[in-house]
Formats: sequence, structure tokens, C-alpha cells
Amino acid sequence: MCSTRAVTELQATTHTIEFPYTRTLGPVIGPFLTGLRDGRILGIRCRDRVLVPPQEYDPETGDALEPPLVEVGPAGTVETWAWVSEPTRKHPLDRPFAFALVKLDGADTAMVHAVDAGSIDAMRTGMRVTPRWRAERKGRIDDIECFVPEGGAA
Amino acid sequence: MTAAKSDTAVTGDEPVTMMEYFMSLTYTDVVSPPVVRFREALMEGRLIAQQCPKCHLVYVPPKGYCPIDTIELDERNEIQLADRGVVTNYTIVTPVQYYGQKETEPFVRASILLDPPGGMLILQDILDIPTDEVRAGMRVEAVWAKPGERNVDEVGNRSGSALEGSLRGFRPTGEPDVPADSFSDKVW
Repeated sequence: MCSTRAVTELQATTHTIEFPYTRTLGPVIGPFLTGLRDGRILGIRCRDRVLVPPQEYDPETGDALEPPLVEVGPAGTVETWAWVSEPTRKHPLDRPFAFALVKLDGADTAMVHAVDAGSIDAMRTGMRVTPRWRAERKGRIDDIECFVPEGGAA
Repeated sequence: MTAAKSDTAVTGDEPVTMMEYFMSLTYTDVVSPPVVRFREALMEGRLIAQQCPKCHLVYVPPKGYCPIDTIELDERNEIQLADRGVVTNYTIVTPVQYYGQKETEPFVRASILLDPPGGMLILQDILDIPTDEVRAGMRVEAVWAKPGERNVDEVGNRSGSALEGSLRGFRPTGEPDVPADSFSDKVW
């Protein structure tokens, strides 16, 4: 580039930037995550539909949506998916898995989550899945560790 | 439905109102050739820079170009710098104990105008003197880490003047202070 001498050995630096932060959850996401902690998946009524995950506003009109939330699932149907063959350190599972849109029973919208199906051959659109709950839950989306094929092995 | 509302332990039974999030980003940067040479010099206890042949500004660490004249710079534009100079301005930082803050006591970050051929090092620690005795115009000299204890692992393309692994900071020389008008055109 700008050196007249050939660079025979590349040198590199590694930097890590970290920010811990805390945010308030509000009247809809707070109860949603409280539900996850308690092992329940909640959505919100929006006119004649149920949105999962719940939102504070009608995505079409912007009107405020009012709690209380309604329980859905916990099982659902895979609407579409993408296979992650080489998970990174940040991914929810340390083995190949699918990111999927899962429409839970009783919901009208699908939520993104991981599906631990074992292999890509076990994945298909329309498959039934059910949550695998984390043993110790804290009120986070990953209180659901992932979804797994309903009825056990794929 | 086969799934399971879990009957295992949960954390607390109060409503969840807050979310903790820990953002962490790790990236690796290949060090540019001028900075490779800068790192090699630091390991030898030397400061090098590049000087633009047109505007004569001194870039430390070397950049590989002059952004003002859009001229490429290389080893032919390299100069050796003095490792002593004068404090042109400084800040006393009172550390707030946010995440990642390692300092617990007030400390100084000073800009140092190096002796001819010049060059400005920013964000330098001032050692061996109480923070309230630091002043603009004070003559200082480099305090290098011992040869076997130097490292430049954190000196990259964007680390600027953060050189603590090799150049620990500057300390007073005891020489008389320099009048402000001798460096006032170089205060950042």
C-alpha cells in the first residue's frame, strides 16, 4: 500500500468494545417477559388478531394497544426458516440450528426464534415445534432456549 | 400440546420491568505498514513519525498519507522524534466508576509538543508529580517501560497515542517552564 517494503507478515490488533446497559420495558414487553419467566408465552389483541410477540401499537394504524395480554402456544408452526450451519459465539445455540418464524397456536403473527432440529434435513416449513424452556429463567427472550420439533426427535 | 410449562425454578416473582443487555463487539484489524514500523520503533524505545514534504506537518503515529495535501507518505518521509518536550495543555480526569474504568484516583491526560523536529502526542499520562502541580509550559521527558517489559499489542491503526504498553507517560525534567507564547499556536 504505502510502504516501499513488502509486508511479509501481517500484524493484527484485537479490540473488544463493551457496553452494559439497562432499559425499561414498558407496559407490554414487561408483561411479555414476565410471562416468559413464568413459562408462558403472551400476545396482545389487535382488533381481530393476536400479535406475538406483543407490540405497544397497532402496526397498521398506530393506535395504542391495551393490555392485558393473552396466552398463546406454547406450540406452533414453522412458517419459514434459515439454516445456520456454522454458529458463531453470539448465536443462541452452539450447534447447527435454524432461525425460524414460528406462528404459535392462537397467534396471528410469527415470532423469530431458534429451532434445534438436529439437522437441516429435519427442517421443513409447516413443521410443528414446541419451546424448550431454560431451567433458570430471568425474563428474557432466551428464557426460551429454542424451539424443538413437537413429539421429540425430528 | 406436549410442551411444557416449566415447573423448574424461576428468578423472582415480581413483574419484570427492566432488561439488562450486554453489548460486546470484538474486532480484529490488520495493522497498516506505517503503524507496523511505529510499533517496531516503540519496542526499541523510539518514536517515529511521517512528515509531509509539502505542508511539513508531522504525523505521529504515521498515517501513510497527508490528509491535507492528499499526498502518500512512506518510509522516505519518516523522521525520528525527540522523546522530550513541553506540556501544551492538559486535563485532570476524575474517574467515574463506570463499567471498564480501571482508574480510581484523579489522573492527568496531557498534550505534549515534542522538541524539534516536533510532533504532538496527545492523551499522555504525567508521572512523578501531583496532579495539581501539572501546568502548561512544563518541560517533560518520556518514561519508557523497561525493554523486556514493553508490548505494543494494543497499538493499532486507530489507537492514536495510547501507547501505555511501551511509553508509560512523561515526567518533569526540572528545567524552567517554557513561556506559553512559544507553543500557543500549537495548542489543541
